[in-house]
Amino acid sequence: MEYNNLSEYEQDLFLCGRCGDCSLADKIVASGRDVFHPCSVKNVLGFEVFACRGRIMVLNDLLTGELEVDDDIINWAYTCTTCRNCQETCTATADGIRLPEIMEAFRKDLVEAGYQLEKHEKIEKSINELGNPYKEQHDKRLEVFGDREWPEKADVVYFVGCTSAYREKEIARTTVDLLDRSGVNYTVLEDERCCGSVLLRVGRTDAFAALSQHNIEKIKESGAKTVVTSCAGCYRTWKVDVVEQGHEYDFEILHITEYLDKLIQDEKLSFEAPEPIKVTYHDPCHLGRHAEVYEAPRRVIQAVENVELVEMETNKRYAHCCGSGGGVKSSFGELANKIAADRVHEAEDTKAEILVTACPFCHKGLVDGAKHSASSMKILDLPEFLMAYVKEGKKKSKAAEHPLKTKFMKYLRKHPLIFDGLKKDAIIDYEIEGERFHVHVLDKGEIEVVPRRSENPDVELIFSPAAVEKLTSFKNEEEYAAQFGLFFKEPTEEEWIKFNLRRNIVKLLMKGYRKFAQKAGLI
Amino acid sequence: MSIIKSSQTHPLYKDLVKIVGEDRVSDSRVVMSAYSKDACHLTAERPEVVVMPETLDEIKSIAKICNSTKTPLVPAGGRNGICGACLPRIEGAVMLDMVKMDEIVEINEDVMTVTVEAGLRWAELIHRLDEKGYKLGFRGPYGGNAGTVGGSVSINSIGYAASKFGPSTEGVVSLEVVLANGDVITTGSGWNKDAPIFARYTTYNDITGLFLGDHGTLGVKTKVTLKIYPKADYFTYGDFGFTSLEDASQAFLEVQKLGFTEELNLLADRQSTDTFFPGFLDKHPEIKSMFASVVQEVDAQLAQRKMEIIREIALKHGGKDLGNFASQMHWSELFNLVQPLYNNGFWLNTCHLRPIPKIPALMDRMWAIFEKYQLLENGIKWIASCLGAERAYATGWVTIFAPNKEKMELALKAWNEMLDSVIETKGCPYWNGLLWEKRALKQTDQKFLDTYWTVKKALDPENILSPHVFEGGF
Ligand SMILES: Cc1cc2nc3c(=O)[nH]c(=O)nc-3n(C[C@H](O)[C@H](O)[C@H](O)COP(=O)(O)OP(=O)(O)OC[C@H]3O[C@@H](n4cnc5c(N)ncnc54)[C@H](O)[C@@H]3O)c2cc1C
Ligand code: SF4
Ligand code: SF4
Repeated sequence: MEYNNLSEYEQDLFLCGRCGDCSLADKIVASGRDVFHPCSVKNVLGFEVFACRGRIMVLNDLLTGELEVDDDIINWAYTCTTCRNCQETCTATADGIRLPEIMEAFRKDLVEAGYQLEKHEKIEKSINELGNPYKEQHDKRLEVFGDREWPEKADVVYFVGCTSAYREKEIARTTVDLLDRSGVNYTVLEDERCCGSVLLRVGRTDAFAALSQHNIEKIKESGAKTVVTSCAGCYRTWKVDVVEQGHEYDFEILHITEYLDKLIQDEKLSFEAPEPIKVTYHDPCHLGRHAEVYEAPRRVIQAVENVELVEMETNKRYAHCCGSGGGVKSSFGELANKIAADRVHEAEDTKAEILVTACPFCHKGLVDGAKHSASSMKILDLPEFLMAYVKEGKKKSKAAEHPLKTKFMKYLRKHPLIFDGLKKDAIIDYEIEGERFHVHVLDKGEIEVVPRRSENPDVELIFSPAAVEKLTSFKNEEEYAAQFGLFFKEPTEEEWIKFNLRRNIVKLLMKGYRKFAQKAGLI
Repeated sequence: MSIIKSSQTHPLYKDLVKIVGEDRVSDSRVVMSAYSKDACHLTAERPEVVVMPETLDEIKSIAKICNSTKTPLVPAGGRNGICGACLPRIEGAVMLDMVKMDEIVEINEDVMTVTVEAGLRWAELIHRLDEKGYKLGFRGPYGGNAGTVGGSVSINSIGYAASKFGPSTEGVVSLEVVLANGDVITTGSGWNKDAPIFARYTTYNDITGLFLGDHGTLGVKTKVTLKIYPKADYFTYGDFGFTSLEDASQAFLEVQKLGFTEELNLLADRQSTDTFFPGFLDKHPEIKSMFASVVQEVDAQLAQRKMEIIREIALKHGGKDLGNFASQMHWSELFNLVQPLYNNGFWLNTCHLRPIPKIPALMDRMWAIFEKYQLLENGIKWIASCLGAERAYATGWVTIFAPNKEKMELALKAWNEMLDSVIETKGCPYWNGLLWEKRALKQTDQKFLDTYWTVKKALDPENILSPHVFEGGF
């Protein structure tokens, strides 16, 4: 068999040193990366072959001819949820060994060679004929919203997605309810079609281009400058895949969590729970690891008065997958249920009353997982969770800014040279007394200081208040850098800096942190 | 739930299913593929069936059935070894994947020990202890995210905190071991059925030591009891550079002798420092070699004073204070320091032990080999790093990185000469395995080896446990 797509990744397959972190790692000890047995599939099925390290060994065996494709290989190929937790854990290369892409390339080879799972064939047929993978009538797509008339033109398009339109209807309904309450000018597409995510994930790429072009065309016709989706799968497809496949569009894509975050900041919506309640949040892989949105949903949850957000043992970049992605739920339902049950147990361990997520696949998967393990955990998608707490009348006014944070942000804005040497899109997150902001390098000599915690920083710096007072007293960048280095080398009880590296060293070097460290006298 | 079907052709397949159930046994070729290598390039036979035991009783039953049918049984931990030790040398082997045996059995605060199941990984153990206010002595090999306690003490692994506490095996108080015939013994004070496990050397001779470093040939370790210490919150760090490796080694020896440092790491040349910490020496063109030191104490002043003394020693030997970035990074990236080096290529290792004054002689040989094969010109980088180990010896970790498949052949040539040089300059490998065995055997005193084989025959008369290890096969 030909491995034209897989062969593209031979160097990744060679560079894997089989350290086993992607399979067995606990927290990466002192650097605060909360990894814990990253592969939720391996955690259920046990054998190494299901973790990234084992997968790479099998793929290398296929390439050398030691193994040949048979039914076992085909089944095995579709047991990976492509959740990317292994890649995020792997520090071998700047991006980590790209196992999800590698598995998708291999699936493409399988499809090209005529090997396929019957279920996937049916899904593709349904998408081609009906515009959705569920064999549902295309003209019933918007029935979820009742008899409503939708304007042809609007500022914002809500891209519903097949799963919310046909299966997880409550998500679609509550999203629309929230948008209605916020007063934004929005619409939905009369002729929306599947975003194509499921096809890409299982290696069937032929129909993707036509779907993307169709949807882009329809959005253009609406005149919208912003597209909002409540589906993490659609979001990742729009944000990452559509662009990677060479399709251009000039509208902004936002996940509903990002959009709600904005609406809350703009005081267009506010929420209040009648009684104190503890909530935990499950990061959908396609929203988190694949598109790097971690903080917006958390900010939204925390904006609900009386709600306390508690984190699960694995969260954000290292959150365990719910088991539904990569075609696993459609191919191996029992496996998906067991993975989801594990995740629900993690949520139970936090003692939260509600497990909130932000993706119809995750929601369905987790609900099934809870049933599978007879858990009574309440599981809600974010819009559904929020709708119960919409606050009428007075909107929550913004909390007063922390004066030292404001002072530090102002200082850094005035001294962009501090970040000289860092490459475009380097991001440093700052923390003083629990208050966060971040610096985003836009270009040479140009930075943006954003008063929020970054979604996915390269480095997190934590300062004592006295250290900030001293640093902001310096007139020039050299003095600042010298003192910064000193705080790091010789901290005192009063004046100190700590840091967490959020990216691996190879990636940090690529982003220019070597020069940054040299200037700060660290090296 | 088995998604990959077993072929059910291994003669013991059905018996093993009876012991652990269908979900934890496989003899599928696809599943075996993922057990065909550890974290080095060397290969031997593939196991023909893999079992994932969860209890002592299961392992006892597995050993019994293997023993009665003379079936080879090979224990494997995290398979993160880098010498091919866990790979069977014979066809038909049953491999025990031990990672499901990963409970902390007991933290005994009265006698300061922790007892763990053998398949527990070091990183996980450190976290659990940390939560309770304790630390281990030896913290684990650098691959301790996936490396297990049982695997490490079976091959004399050495790494983090060896400067103060020595190799993994030094921290062991007692072992629970399943013998080849399925019997179980507990070593140390475990000989006394009524006594707690608190001491290693009591009443009889040190049977614990017999199983340490046995490469899985004398028994399957199911529990390991390790020493623990109160967590110490005060750290001081120091990096010192030298204009020659000789000066660096002398200062390094003097510091190591003091026993102050939790971790002491010498980087033998500029290339090594630049591979580890790119740019670190840019501002110090005269520096050829450096060491990074980490002190951990229960008291801030104590930690500071110790670092001052280390600094004085370094300066006395002509050293330069380079700050403490390298040592801070080194310590804070615990268990993830090495993996980013894979970006340079697949690694070929030469890990061994040697007296500290013999480091320069080793490096002279290594540099000549690097030159001969024009490694840098061929894109092959290296790291030469030595960790201080208890009292006053060191690990020698000279590693080269083949950047791609095409350069592997050249790298292997250089690497083979490097291995020869290690032995010729009187190094002793800590682990053996496929990596070292042939070379080690040539040097081994026959009476020493005969003694080992006498013990092996007595404990494993059917020769089922990791057969052909220490025979130089493959
Ligand atoms: C990134 C990285 C860094 C590393 N750094 C170091 C380092 O600093 N120092 C170092 O020493 N090594 C290092 N190594 C190698 C590896 O971490 C160690 O050798 C580790 O101790 C291996 O443990 P394991 O559980 O993976 O053992 P395995 O590789 O699975 O097995 C090793 C040996 O132990 C035997 N064994 C395993 N479990 C048992 C048991 N329960 N009972 C009896 N025998 C058993 C096996 O048969 C085999 O002979 C590194 C590896 C990597 C990938
Ligand atoms: S993919 Fe990365 S983390 Fe996994 S074994 Fe390979 S090098 Fe290690
Ligand atoms: S992508 Fe997720 S499911 Fe697939 S191997 Fe990696 S961690 Fe496991």
